Amino acid sequence: MATAGVSAALCVLFLCLSLQPSRGLFNSGTDGYRRKVSLELNPGLNSSPAAPPGVNVLHVRAVGPSDTLHFIWGSQGAPTLLLIHTNSSNSSLHIDWQRMLSSNSTGSLWVEPETSVQYSSALVFTRIWEYSDDNDTADPSRVPSSSFFPAYDLADFAWDDLNRTLNLATLRGQLCGRNSSDPAGAFANGSVCLEISAFEAWGRDAAWPRLLHSANSSQLRLVVSNVTERANQSRFALEMVAVTGRGRQSRVDTLRSIDDENTPSIFQVSQWVTMPANARAPVLSFAQWKPVAYRSRAPVFEDATPVRHSALLDLPIPPDSGLVRAFFGDQPSPGYQAVALNVSFGITGDPFYNATRYLSWTVLLGLGSPPQDSFSVLVQVIMAVALGMPLLLLLLGGLYVCLGHRNQAPGYAPIN
Amino acid sequence: LDEDNSEVADPSLSDDRDGSGPGRRMPSICDPSTLLHRIVVLIFMCFLGFGSYFCYDNPAALQTQVIQDMQLNTSKFMQLYAWYSWPNVVLCFFGGFLLDRVFGIRLGTIIFSLFVCFGQVIFAAGALCNAFWLMELGRFVFGIGGESLAVAQNTYAVSWFKGKELNLVFGLQLSMARLGSTVNMNIMGWIYSRIAALVGSSGHTTLGITLMIGSATCIFSLICALILGYLDKRAERILNKEQGKTGEVIKLTDVKDFSLSLWLIFLICVGYYVAVFPFIGLGQVFFIEKFNFSPAQARAINSIVYIISAPASPILGFLVDRVGKNVIWVLCAVLTTLAAHLMLAFTFWNPWIAMCLLGLSYSLLACALWPMVAFVVPEHQLGTAYGFMQSIQNLGLALISIAAGSILDSRGYLFLEVFFSSCVCLALIAVVVLYFVDFLRGGELNLSASQRGKLKEVSAAETEKRVHVHQQKDEDLARLKPMSAFGLRNRYLSRLGAQLPDHYCTHLSSLAHRSVLK
Repeated sequence: MATAGVSAALCVLFLCLSLQPSRGLFNSGTDGYRRKVSLELNPGLNSSPAAPPGVNVLHVRAVGPSDTLHFIWGSQGAPTLLLIHTNSSNSSLHIDWQRMLSSNSTGSLWVEPETSVQYSSALVFTRIWEYSDDNDTADPSRVPSSSFFPAYDLADFAWDDLNRTLNLATLRGQLCGRNSSDPAGAFANGSVCLEISAFEAWGRDAAWPRLLHSANSSQLRLVVSNVTERANQSRFALEMVAVTGRGRQSRVDTLRSIDDENTPSIFQVSQWVTMPANARAPVLSFAQWKPVAYRSRAPVFEDATPVRHSALLDLPIPPDSGLVRAFFGDQPSPGYQAVALNVSFGITGDPFYNATRYLSWTVLLGLGSPPQDSFSVLVQVIMAVALGMPLLLLLLGGLYVCLGHRNQAPGYAPIN
Repeated sequence: LDEDNSEVADPSLSDDRDGSGPGRRMPSICDPSTLLHRIVVLIFMCFLGFGSYFCYDNPAALQTQVIQDMQLNTSKFMQLYAWYSWPNVVLCFFGGFLLDRVFGIRLGTIIFSLFVCFGQVIFAAGALCNAFWLMELGRFVFGIGGESLAVAQNTYAVSWFKGKELNLVFGLQLSMARLGSTVNMNIMGWIYSRIAALVGSSGHTTLGITLMIGSATCIFSLICALILGYLDKRAERILNKEQGKTGEVIKLTDVKDFSLSLWLIFLICVGYYVAVFPFIGLGQVFFIEKFNFSPAQARAINSIVYIISAPASPILGFLVDRVGKNVIWVLCAVLTTLAAHLMLAFTFWNPWIAMCLLGLSYSLLACALWPMVAFVVPEHQLGTAYGFMQSIQNLGLALISIAAGSILDSRGYLFLEVFFSSCVCLALIAVVVLYFVDFLRGGELNLSASQRGKLKEVSAAETEKRVHVHQQKDEDLARLKPMSAFGLRNRYLSRLGAQLPDHYCTHLSSLAHRSVLK
């Protein structure tokens, strides 16, 4: 019996351990890679040509041992996060503000030395769609086009001053905006906010979906709050455009994950990865998100609502983004390509937007391969103790009985 | 007494409407001493518990709807199960006493049925009024009736079928209970969607109406209780039959005599069952979220545990009885359950595999664990021991239900499964310790059936002699006689492996508490 028990328990333990990702037992996203991160708003802009209201360029400089990551977050045109990777730890960002603020901003943003640039890409939040989901399908591709309201074009939004919300200690800043021509008054109390977080090392946010982030990434959280819906059955969708150099290909994968500890009840992770055209090469950059949005400011389990994404679509024209024009130029054809993706919020049967008038969705953007979740130390310790204790007792008991038995052996008569 | 005699002598006087003619013979369907009549009684007996089994798992069957319509979180939702368990922490000790001494079986059954009925109606009314506290109150009242009603059901069965088809009757009641649970799991969601279509929208009103429809099963069961009470009274009049008794003797001071082995059995019981029932309560959404099941599929897989245990229990029970070695069986059951939980936690393997394993191991544990109590407790303390076991189990269920809900709310399903797995591991530790304690003390828990038979030969032979004497003496009245202390002893002797007539194998009786067989 003892051997059978031991082997069974060993099997269970082995099963458990063999399912661990290959990153080692106690390595749950806490590798030591760090960057020195500094934030600067409107770098190089003197007070002389004062920044017009609504112009925000946040430069996040993340310096590693041998390279530098520049995240540039701007609200000119549609909100854009520009990612530039250089192989020098003292590369610097330059902006020609005169040209940047003029109508022809092409080439007004560059990095020196220019040869150090390894990779660059941008993600633009272009539009927010609102549609009346009369049949409760929660699938914009199956909704008749007549159900769509005119989209909120984020390039037309008036954005608040980022300076007011910028927190240099927590490396966070929040950009809130309203539809500048707001005929229906939908934004009387409402706003669309994008919160950017930069990171010095591995870790997780305190709030769901608690995405695992690395020093190579920054996180954006979209919040659509208190916007007056244009129909009772309103649901929303977001259009994003990724801009990358020519000769790249990108795809969206949804992977299953058995670990929902950090995002309760969500067993999937979606990632939009960009890589060189030859398929085997490593991933260059990623956008990663859990397919979940939350319907309240302090979400509980039941406020989660699923997120779906569309297929990728190549765009012939560049998005209306100041940063993209300034860095990539305004003609996509020779220099870069633009790919669009829609994500839609909600699922059949879930409450519509007007139930809480709140929607938040988080996406992680970064360089290299997306981070992979693994079991938390707590789970590993609990399983080790829970499975180890019976095993240990079995061994100790077996040992004790064997020894005890040997001592008593002479006086014992077999029962049968 | 004279009156009674005259009635027995002339049954037709009391039953004119039965159409008993001048021949003074009732049709056999109306004659309480015939098989046909007992079958009629059996049908009512089976449906007596149907309502409470149907309604017990209403929250699980409507998990998403309840949470959405009442705007709950999961830990609040699990309070519905906790509130059911609270009264039974105490009532396990008094249910038998109330039936025997205070109400009597007939009135007691009707009272407990009323509790079940009102509980469910209050529960549904709470949903109608959008008052969650009222729903909790409803579950509390429902809990007062539910568990005790199961005891009453068994007592009726013993009182009508002892010495005849008792084993079969217990088997049927078990199957009926599982049928109730299964039907509930698979039909409530459908009813809800139909009501939602009728009302025009989902919401607490729809939920309330659905639950009110569910309470029809309780009213049906109440009607069965009334008819049973009438038939039992009538049988008493005609056959001079006494009211049935549970024969349970509970003495709380016995606790100080409980052995280490018994406490370990309690620990296994708690550790094991808290990893099964709260999981089933939360299972539906788990299968939808993790395995992308449709709600109907999720309800089906959630009820598979009950479906499997219906045919598996008698077969495994037979196997365990024949082989003995209960501790090994319990160990197998616990290990299988652990494997099932680990599969659900750490893999995306088809969950039907894990749930079928869970169903099998759950049935196996019920067959092997509960009879073990009789080996480590003297006969006169058995009632107390079982009462304690169920009380502790209900306490565990109430606490763990709440804990499971809040763990799910804050940390998700993986952590919940890890939590359940560690509960099973606790049970596993207890089994391992129990094995060694029993081994070192030379206990008989893990003897094979034949070894037990040899050990008990002397006492069994003696008992058998007495059995035969009594049997002959009471041959005619035996069928409808209440359970005496002696009958009670036989019931437990059968667990000891003593050679008893087949129809005396009443060990299923104590398994028929809902908490055990659900």
